[in-house]
Amino acid sequence: MSLLDVSDLSVRYEPKSHRPLDAVQHVSFSIEAGEFVGLIGESGSGKTTLGTALLRLLQRPGRISAGSITFDGTDITHLHEDELRDLRWRDISTVFQSSMNALNPVTRVEAQFRDVIEQHSRLRGEAVTTRIRELFDMVIIDHRFISAYPHELSGGMRQRVNLALALALEPKFVLLDEPTTGLDVVVQHSILENVRRLQAEQGFAVLFISHDIGTVLDLSDRILVMYAGRIVEEQPAAALLRDPLHPYSKGLLGSYGDPRAETVRITYVPGRPPDLSLEIRGCSFAPRCPERIARCTEVDPPLLPMAAGRAACHVAQLQRDEGGAGEHGEPKRTFDGPQFVKTAEESTQALRGDVVLTVDHVSKVFTRRRGLTVQHTEAVTDASFVLRKGEVTALVGQSGSGKSTLARMITGVDSPTTGRIVFHGPNGDQEVAGFRGRSLRDYRSNVQMVFQDPYSSINPAKRLGYVLARPLANYHGLKGDALRDRVEELLETVALTPADRFVNRYGYELSGGQRQRVVIAKALAVEPDIIVADEPISSLDVSIRAEILELLGGLVQTKDVGILYITHDLLSARMLADEVIVLNNGRIVEQGQTLAVIRSPQDAYTRTLIEAIPNPF
Amino acid sequence: MRYFARKFGFFVATLWAVVTLNFLIPRLQPGDPAEIMVKKLAGKDAQLDPAQVRAMRAMLGAPDGSLVQQYGTYLGELVRGNFGLSYSYYPFKVTEVIGQAFWWTVILVTVTQALSFVVGVVLGAYAAWRRNSRFDSVVTLGSTFLGTLQPFWIALLLLYVFGYSLGWFPTSGGYEESTPGLNFPFVQEAVSHSFLPALALLIVTPIGWILGMRNTMIMNLGEDYIRLAKAKGLPDRVVALKYAARNALLPSVTGFALALGGVLGGAILVEQAFDYPGLGRLMGEAVENKDYPLLQTLMLLTTVGVLVANLVADLLYGVLDPRARRAQS
Ligand SMILES: Nc1ncnc2c1ncn2[C@@H]1O[C@H](COP(=O)(O)OP(=O)(O)OP(=O)(O)O)[C@@H](O)[C@H]1O
Ligand code: SF4
Ligand SMILES: [Mg+2]
Repeated sequence: MSLLDVSDLSVRYEPKSHRPLDAVQHVSFSIEAGEFVGLIGESGSGKTTLGTALLRLLQRPGRISAGSITFDGTDITHLHEDELRDLRWRDISTVFQSSMNALNPVTRVEAQFRDVIEQHSRLRGEAVTTRIRELFDMVIIDHRFISAYPHELSGGMRQRVNLALALALEPKFVLLDEPTTGLDVVVQHSILENVRRLQAEQGFAVLFISHDIGTVLDLSDRILVMYAGRIVEEQPAAALLRDPLHPYSKGLLGSYGDPRAETVRITYVPGRPPDLSLEIRGCSFAPRCPERIARCTEVDPPLLPMAAGRAACHVAQLQRDEGGAGEHGEPKRTFDGPQFVKTAEESTQALRGDVVLTVDHVSKVFTRRRGLTVQHTEAVTDASFVLRKGEVTALVGQSGSGKSTLARMITGVDSPTTGRIVFHGPNGDQEVAGFRGRSLRDYRSNVQMVFQDPYSSINPAKRLGYVLARPLANYHGLKGDALRDRVEELLETVALTPADRFVNRYGYELSGGQRQRVVIAKALAVEPDIIVADEPISSLDVSIRAEILELLGGLVQTKDVGILYITHDLLSARMLADEVIVLNNGRIVEQGQTLAVIRSPQDAYTRTLIEAIPNPF
Repeated sequence: MRYFARKFGFFVATLWAVVTLNFLIPRLQPGDPAEIMVKKLAGKDAQLDPAQVRAMRAMLGAPDGSLVQQYGTYLGELVRGNFGLSYSYYPFKVTEVIGQAFWWTVILVTVTQALSFVVGVVLGAYAAWRRNSRFDSVVTLGSTFLGTLQPFWIALLLLYVFGYSLGWFPTSGGYEESTPGLNFPFVQEAVSHSFLPALALLIVTPIGWILGMRNTMIMNLGEDYIRLAKAKGLPDRVVALKYAARNALLPSVTGFALALGGVLGGAILVEQAFDYPGLGRLMGEAVENKDYPLLQTLMLLTTVGVLVANLVADLLYGVLDPRARRAQS
């Protein structure tokens, strides 16, 4: 008997304003005591819903519509809340997805440990305090934060505290739902290391939910791949990496490349997952699947045992049947989808482009007055580099390293305390800090920003045609047919095709990736010389990320524009950037051609960043 | 601590501004401020009543000496609590007249407001916790209906039913024969006289709290920390009170101060309906008798009252929300 047995579980949401939708469909799997199981799938595939169902925390309009959950021999599918309460936290605990808000903001951290410890154990008073200290030691946080309020902790610390809280009663099973998404790579890495160590020491079982296959492969014993509410593949981590069965798993693996290779190649899965509220005939992955055969659109593939695990795919099944390989070809390890390739040769080329902007010994000191004392913070210290046309320069560093301050000075929002930023534009060399009024407005049209969050960067209540037409009319004075043609051209450039189908759509009808494309199209509308992209992909799904990277990469080559790509993620920097600048505490600690920096980092901090890249290979 | 000091400093500054404006505005035009003031309040063509001017001057101070000297005198008088003489109760001092009415209103308003707040917050929180239950529907629909009524109108209805028709409660005044003070007959009379005015206020004022609390609480119930509290297997009571209600309370506390201005308006009308010997009735009389010193002082007092309520709410908020303490210090 396993610790957790899930059998034929389905979860249905029945919202008032929408068709009912089966977010989890006939899911069966089990987890042994002490096992580390990864659950991976793109946004909306039902991971959180499945996890919430396991915790018996589903709320209206969601409910378990079929199947059963057995925990440690007890069927908890419909167990009454009073009986569940004894299991909660003592046996089953959790760290929520993006749980920045999982701690009660108005009470001290200590109280939030104390209430649950006293609820479920005999410990009281001083003994509880001792236990809390132990827990804080486990996650390596200073004891003085025990009496802090949640808002006094940084994001990473809060997540560690959540982890400590989850382990407070030595549970048998912990559900980790994307516990580090949204945190800095270096912080993410150290928290996950912490999880791995504690799990090995204490032997609780984990279901680790993530959309990042790199970390999942890194940590898990066994992996469940979820697509459109179903488990489509289950294999031990090593087997999945070596011999993925389902084309979707291959697609996910393809989104990873080895940043040290001369040529990095990542594939991505085109299209979007199906609408779960509609009836799907045949395999739900079929519209995006390069291995599709006739049967796929007719018959729904069942989840069958094969190779080292299970998979739900006709082709995989046929290939692995006795003698099937001949007829249906050898199993492939890769995903035959669109690819994004970056070669070292390209970068060498790009570094010969014309310089459009020079950052010359720039420092920025912020002065903050607090009562009578004046505080000086040096956000950027003596930074020098150039941006070239046809080149992507990556600015890499942890949060707080001064990346955004540099970006703000480049776009003319802030001016440097010392040093100069010079724009080599059509009117000769001009210092950015000297722009005022009209000249500043002109400069801003030459330097466009693309931000992290595509949801807030375009007005969701306006049609895309309008969103794009405004800058065109403002800066280029386009009207009528010329305007319409240009809008459609822009939409085509960012691969929102056919353009006439998108012109009249509203921002809120688009997916995150599509919105980010619109934001980029809007930036391109004014034909800028420089695009400053501040974490443009970090809020997007993996498969969409590759799409946007590919789009940006293509732009640099075809349009005469230079991109400053700001990120905390060296892997994506490698994919996109020709040159990389590593920033630590406001200082440039390393600078050079991306591949060279990644292959032989000179600075200790760069090495930390490189180590933080999950490396499943 | 910084937060509290700041809030208190802000309070003092606003108070000073109010008091100074009260001094400056009548003096912006040349001439005798008392005369101008009376003219302005009585209408341009009205006969200038020397008694009124005298009363006003007692409050504003004589127009001699430099502005700075006058300001000094004015502040001195204020500190000593000298607001001049009442015109309608001449030669009583304004402070004496107000002193008579002050506690009646303060006690009525404080008690009803505190009760309303507690009742409203508790009902709202419970309705949200048992969302879509019968209790919730009754409370929500009931509040929405009662919310459309005016306290003054309810006061008249109560007066008619319990005062005149049933005769259970006295219909006007604050007490009968007893001597005011802390003695049993007086307290008993005061309570029975205050009952209907209080009831009139109590029927309407909790409604804002009920609906506000219910809404914020329902919103908070979707927060991660509530889901986590449930996942922790804490008893419902703890989740509802320590996690949900405790957080949902915060906007209500801020609302409390903001609502107080409106409440004073309601209280004035209700007092007049019951002929209750409080500040509201006094204000009505002052308007009727053109007793400007009294009116002026009552206005000042009301403003100060609202400021004090704001201060209290701010301080309370600081105690309840640790984030506020830090964010602004
Ligand atoms: N409360 C709800 N009401 C209606 N539909 C919901 C609700 N919560 C989730 N869904 C739907 O259920 C599906 C699965 O959502 P879920 O949050 O489980 O996905 P996920 O895999 O965790 O995604 P992510 O990676 O973005 O966290 C989605 O189509 C989503 O729109
Ligand atoms: S069943 Fe067919 S469509 Fe579905 S994943 Fe397998 S090959 Fe692709
Ligand atoms: Mg999720």
